[in-house]
Amino acid sequence: MLFLQLLVDGLVSGCAMGVVAVTFTVIYTTTQVFHIGHGAIYTLGGYVVWYLTEQGAPFVLALPVAIAICAAAGALIQQQLYNRLMQRNATPLVLLIGSLGAALVLENTLAAVFSPNILNIVTSWGNQTISLAGVRLSLAQVALLVSGPVLFGGMVAWANYTALGKRTRAVAANEFLAEITRLEPRRVHVVVLAITSGVVAIPGALIALDHGMHPYTGTLVLLTATIAMISGGLGNLVGAFVAAVILSVVQTVSTIVMPGQWSIAATFGLFVVLMIFKPTGLFVRSTA
Amino acid sequence: MNYLLSYLIIAEIYALAAMSTNLLIGVTGIFSIAQGAIFGIGAYIVALSTLSDTLPFPLAMLLAMLLCSLVNVAMALPSLRISGDYFVVTSLGMQFVLTAAFTNLPGITGGASGLAGVPPPVLFGVELDDSQSFIPLATLALFAGMACYWVVMRSPFGLLINAIREDELAVSAAGKNVLMTKVGVAALSGVYVGVAGGLYSTFLSFIDPSSCDISASFLLLTMFVVGGARTLAGCLIGPALLMALPQALAVMPIPSSAAGPLRQIIYGALLITFMLFRPQGIAGQKL
Repeated sequence: MLFLQLLVDGLVSGCAMGVVAVTFTVIYTTTQVFHIGHGAIYTLGGYVVWYLTEQGAPFVLALPVAIAICAAAGALIQQQLYNRLMQRNATPLVLLIGSLGAALVLENTLAAVFSPNILNIVTSWGNQTISLAGVRLSLAQVALLVSGPVLFGGMVAWANYTALGKRTRAVAANEFLAEITRLEPRRVHVVVLAITSGVVAIPGALIALDHGMHPYTGTLVLLTATIAMISGGLGNLVGAFVAAVILSVVQTVSTIVMPGQWSIAATFGLFVVLMIFKPTGLFVRSTA
Repeated sequence: MNYLLSYLIIAEIYALAAMSTNLLIGVTGIFSIAQGAIFGIGAYIVALSTLSDTLPFPLAMLLAMLLCSLVNVAMALPSLRISGDYFVVTSLGMQFVLTAAFTNLPGITGGASGLAGVPPPVLFGVELDDSQSFIPLATLALFAGMACYWVVMRSPFGLLINAIREDELAVSAAGKNVLMTKVGVAALSGVYVGVAGGLYSTFLSFIDPSSCDISASFLLLTMFVVGGARTLAGCLIGPALLMALPQALAVMPIPSSAAGPLRQIIYGALLITFMLFRPQGIAGQKL
């Protein structure tokens, strides 16, 4: 029974992690920036909701505000930092260092303003639980289980069927060609950062609602998400989501046999083994 | 006087670590976020082996150099085979795993409270137990490190790693083994940061996980960025400036709980500002 409960818990956090992995993959394949700040944006979503609910706003109102603020923050980072660096033909290394700088400023501003301690979002419904076949789920977890696949499906549909999504994939496939055919890659990059940052606010807020947050969770989440991106076969959105769910389940279920503080070691060990034996990832398909 | 001396010693120790970071990031273009953790391995190895009296200080330092080098190689081998960005993920993972190890093995590492009472280094029967007697050792280590760095940069190996940064494809087309060269750099970089870590824990006679967690990695990275890529002057300027920062912050009226995050905000702002306006750092070359 413990196993079943942990399995479901793993699926729940896997849904959140999957959304982070998928959005990170979209950013990485489109802009070629290893956007370390994405983890901090995820955390920012939770903090905005926490602040607004503390002021008395209901969760359902706070969440859209958090989405908007995260989208604005993501777009700002792209426009004011990455685009400026790219205009100066910065090397990937310079972009990476700039990205790390943005993550540091954002995470530590949260720590300085809201304290580095764990904060919990208090709502009347978030901790209510339902039982299904002996497995207890909080309503926050149910929301995660539903929103994860929906957001993931939405991202895939967006990339494949909307004009903007197709334009994004065109920019990702060949930035030079996109530039001369007036697809305006720089503007597409800003829009992509805005959309993905807004989307990642949702799992950020829901996970915080379920079991609290602290300012530095983002880096660990980012590590798992990037491991999922690589394990899923770089650029493959389905692969990234599935790998993120598998990794989260392994991380959660592994607590049966070893203490929780080592679960990151288990994930990382799996990743290293995978890199040695199958460096291209689990699900290789040439669809970017 | 003593205060100034200990500032100098710490800056010298971090200058060795900055050379390590520079070899990886500045010279070769391998971005690592695990420098703090590797520094920690050096610090803990020397602390543990001198605390338990199993090894004398010089041998403990050798062991630290060897182990740090090995861990760097173990990280580089699987990930660099594939792509540079994979090393970011591998090193970030390594940083988290090692921080977990430093924190959660109280029987060995002392857990979160760390190891206190690390004995001072003993060389030729002399105990280097205060700043006045320690500074010759730190200075000697720094000069030896600088000389070695200078020689390596001008050796065929140094030219090769510079060439790899400029054009990896051309180098491998010329029949050179790019992967093994990069692994060699990782090994050398591990030696530098291992020495720095070992000196750090014996000078302070104390080591705990907070000196080698991810924020330590960020600090080492910021030192490298501020000082500048590839030059020895950069390796000295970065640590000298950033080690003065906590002192400068201490005189300002900031609540102590906000001091840690504020320092990190300054590091982040420095990284962004330098990348935007002066990616080569104060005294470095083009990054």
